[in-house]
Amino acid sequence: MLRLGAGIGLRARHYPEFLGAARPAAGWLEVHGENYFGAGGLDRHALERVRRDYPVSLHGVGLGLGSVEGLDEAHAARLKALVARVEPVFVSEHLCWGALAGRHFNDLLPLPFTREALDLVAARVEWLQDLLGRRILVENVSAYVACEEPDAPGMGEGEFLAALARRSGCGLLLDVNNLYVNQANLGRDALAQMNALRPGSVEEIHLAGHTAGPHGLVDTHSARVCDEVWKLYDAALERFGPVPTLVEWDADLPELAVLLEEAGKAGARMEARHALAA
Amino acid sequence: MPSLLEAQRAFGAAILEGGGPAAMAVYRGNVFGNWAGALAGAYPVVRRIVGEEYFEALARRYARAHPSASGDLNEYGEALARFLAEDDDVQDLPYLPDVARLEWLAHRAYFAAEAAPFEPARAAEARLAPACGLLAAHWPAAAIWNAHQPGGDPGAVNLGAGAELVLVHRPAWRAEALALGAGDYRFLERLLAGAGLGAALEGALAAEPGFDPATALARWVPMGVITQ
Repeated sequence: MLRLGAGIGLRARHYPEFLGAARPAAGWLEVHGENYFGAGGLDRHALERVRRDYPVSLHGVGLGLGSVEGLDEAHAARLKALVARVEPVFVSEHLCWGALAGRHFNDLLPLPFTREALDLVAARVEWLQDLLGRRILVENVSAYVACEEPDAPGMGEGEFLAALARRSGCGLLLDVNNLYVNQANLGRDALAQMNALRPGSVEEIHLAGHTAGPHGLVDTHSARVCDEVWKLYDAALERFGPVPTLVEWDADLPELAVLLEEAGKAGARMEARHALAA
Repeated sequence: MPSLLEAQRAFGAAILEGGGPAAMAVYRGNVFGNWAGALAGAYPVVRRIVGEEYFEALARRYARAHPSASGDLNEYGEALARFLAEDDDVQDLPYLPDVARLEWLAHRAYFAAEAAPFEPARAAEARLAPACGLLAAHWPAAAIWNAHQPGGDPGAVNLGAGAELVLVHRPAWRAEALALGAGDYRFLERLLAGAGLGAALEGALAAEPGFDPATALARWVPMGVITQ
């Protein structure tokens, strides 16, 4: 396991701090790969600069591994070119779908945990790993409606992720907040999903804040990590060890100091766990 | 049990047309919100001109008329100028399509590659910097766009100023827009089309008999508009 500690998602608003002389105290950085698909400009300049100072991870939000009607090969080719240039510490994608023929939805849409979905996603992950020439991590997403047929419940989320990792050889990016959101919205026991995953298969953890709406919790990445998610994170550290952890924040992005403070909390929990384990 | 494809088609229809469980509203909100956010990011001046509330409605209409064709939201919104030109609802703002054309060029410029500086010894291979774009606008598009940049005064724009030939370029990280004379426009347009420096200069002289090649080169080379 890589020992990167706690990092943050780098967003354009915080470029000035990262391009300045002071080196903000983040263990590592993650960016959304699609935002760096351009051939040049400020985003690429900032990425080239920070990759000299920090381990950088490329996190994809637009490929939609589970879209039945084809994967966008041009999108994957652009990712490949970016991976070759950036040499990221991780490349990750979501366990979701996002497009039908002729229309992208530009969102992380949920998959049912069926054999058919597993066959499709495992094949797609293998294809992408072959294309990139490296392993990827696949992340569990938040869901707001259940995709399972009541008469054919299929696998649990954890069971599906474990099977995907086993079959495709990919690693897992465990988003603890998403497990919590799904527990609240859909009654999926978060700890049970986690316990279905093999220790060693989880190579990265995501933490984020969510918001409560009329239809349940929404994974908005717009707030601090809540207490219940910190407790689940402790359980994840217990099961998976001091896995590199990333604090994500997208909407209502605060000052960099707030993100670093949240990452600091994750780092302290990781240290406590590591000290106990030592 | 429906196949995965059938399930995805039904899910997509529920996002676009309604139906499904009540919580589908979250997906509808996310999806249309992501599209509107991407459109607002690419077209901040159009948004300021029509107002936030109207822009939201415009974004919804646009999303239905022009499906997103990429998993990369930075590619979203290319057809807005065309959509505005055909949209009955905004015909009282006839300059809006030109402003949208300019904004898309500025949006593309933001992501464009850098280029090597012009070298006189390799003048035959000179080309327009990848961030540059040209627009023959029916309205004073650059004047409108510049008036809506920080420090500008939208109230001071003379909409009666007529057609404008516009260069969008990116001196540092942010795009800028300039109105051009006929000779400069033809010169840069020919370079953009892949003509050599000599042919581009000849084109400029044909478009504007008083065009001075030396003055043009002395202007566009230091600005990084003409590169290798």
